[in-house]
Amino acid sequence: MRPDPPAPRETRDGDPRVAAPSRDSPPEVRPAPTFRYERFGGIVSLHRPRGLAYVDRDYARSIGFPDSPLWQGEAALGDGPLAAPTEVHLVVSRRCSAGCTGCYVDATPDGPALDEAEAKATIDRLAEMGVFHVALGGGEAVDLPYLIEVARHARRRGLVPNLTTSGLSVDEPFAREAAQVFGQINVSVDGLGDDYRRARGYDGFDRAQRALRLLRSHGRHVGINCVVSRDNADRLAPIVAWAKRLRLSEVEFLRFKPAGRGAGVFEDRDLTPEQGRKLYRRVLFYALRYRMRIKLDCSFAPMIFAHRPSRRVAAFLGVMGCVGGDVLASIMPDGQWIGCSFGGPPEGRFDEAGIWDRGFSAFRDYAARAPEPCASCDYLALCRGGCRVVAQAHGDWWQPDPGCPRVQDWKAAHPGTPIGSASPRKLRVVS
Amino acid sequence: MKLLRRRGRILRVAPGYNPNSSSLGVDVSFLLFGSVAVTALSLVVGSAVRLWRRRAGPPGPEGSAP
Repeated sequence: MRPDPPAPRETRDGDPRVAAPSRDSPPEVRPAPTFRYERFGGIVSLHRPRGLAYVDRDYARSIGFPDSPLWQGEAALGDGPLAAPTEVHLVVSRRCSAGCTGCYVDATPDGPALDEAEAKATIDRLAEMGVFHVALGGGEAVDLPYLIEVARHARRRGLVPNLTTSGLSVDEPFAREAAQVFGQINVSVDGLGDDYRRARGYDGFDRAQRALRLLRSHGRHVGINCVVSRDNADRLAPIVAWAKRLRLSEVEFLRFKPAGRGAGVFEDRDLTPEQGRKLYRRVLFYALRYRMRIKLDCSFAPMIFAHRPSRRVAAFLGVMGCVGGDVLASIMPDGQWIGCSFGGPPEGRFDEAGIWDRGFSAFRDYAARAPEPCASCDYLALCRGGCRVVAQAHGDWWQPDPGCPRVQDWKAAHPGTPIGSASPRKLRVVS
Repeated sequence: MKLLRRRGRILRVAPGYNPNSSSLGVDVSFLLFGSVAVTALSLVVGSAVRLWRRRAGPPGPEGSAP
């Protein structure tokens, strides 16, 4: 049992904000940038400022990188999958005692977990592939006694480890070490006070808040993940305001996914069409009003593109729909590659050669065979048909995302016409 | 124009690290500023990349890829 953490320091008397990182906190790890060749040129992973820069071949040459065998023939960004994912989600554990009603990995107190050696071997493989970032999650990854050591191993291999946690097990020693080794840590908070309990099925808000204060007192790169459901979609402003008061670095809003235990409650928690249409503008307004960095997860792409933002700007910023099996992929506790943590077929074990080059067709092939209304959509190359896992929950992996406002409008304009499917077995439609 | 072509282009910038262990988050705050964000990010990121390369010296045959 971990001891209760001390109360966080405060910046001013009576100011509820969390203190800036203490002088006693270890300095943050700041690795050197790295470069990875791609068919279109390459990707530079920067750490100050933080991010990935995709550059063309001329740019790569201009900064001193010689021509690569990958550069034979012409290729533009988006012509095919990347040479490796930029980021892999490593589900280190399906073990968690919180029992969230919507848990997408169906975590249980005695669920499977990678042991330390397996986790490190997985990271070694990702490093060989040239992956830049590894997001550690679960289950509750913080409950694994070797989590920090696995994260340090990732740093040693040149990867940036990031972490999602419920925060329930975060204490002072963990916060101190985690702030040093992880690039970004987000605590899952789906609502304030009673909204948290309704979303998760237990009262953990105070502990999540305490974890955030602790983590923030040792590092700057701490934020929250907030799953947006029918219940809280109209009450997001207080969450952003609260995150601002805690001086968090970002708020990431995620769509409720019909995966794991979430599949059983998806119908009740999925956004209403009206909420889906309003979400993007609301979020932009909150970003301005609270001067807070706000992210939307890839499954919200149809709700963004329904507002017709500039395609050039969206492409430059990497605003895209399903990027499973391309920009990102997941490795599950049994060592299997999967295109997305929320679903898709297992592609093979992480240590098998060639999987990245030959697999993931369930994710990569949608756009080429997209049915209407995706086929005629200006944003298809970016949106890629929205979220496959949500489509699957509505009956067909290969149908357009039913939560897309454009799809909803198309259905309303074509009553009685079944929507098509991009299935390779085609010849069938779903209603 | 020739010089610009030789220097090449930054095609995409994905700001920040993504901690989410399930999906990819994109920073919509930048969408508010449209082309201004593209220009500003290109300048900042381009400067950081070139500064790194100046300090790092010439790469090996396979660059500094991990």
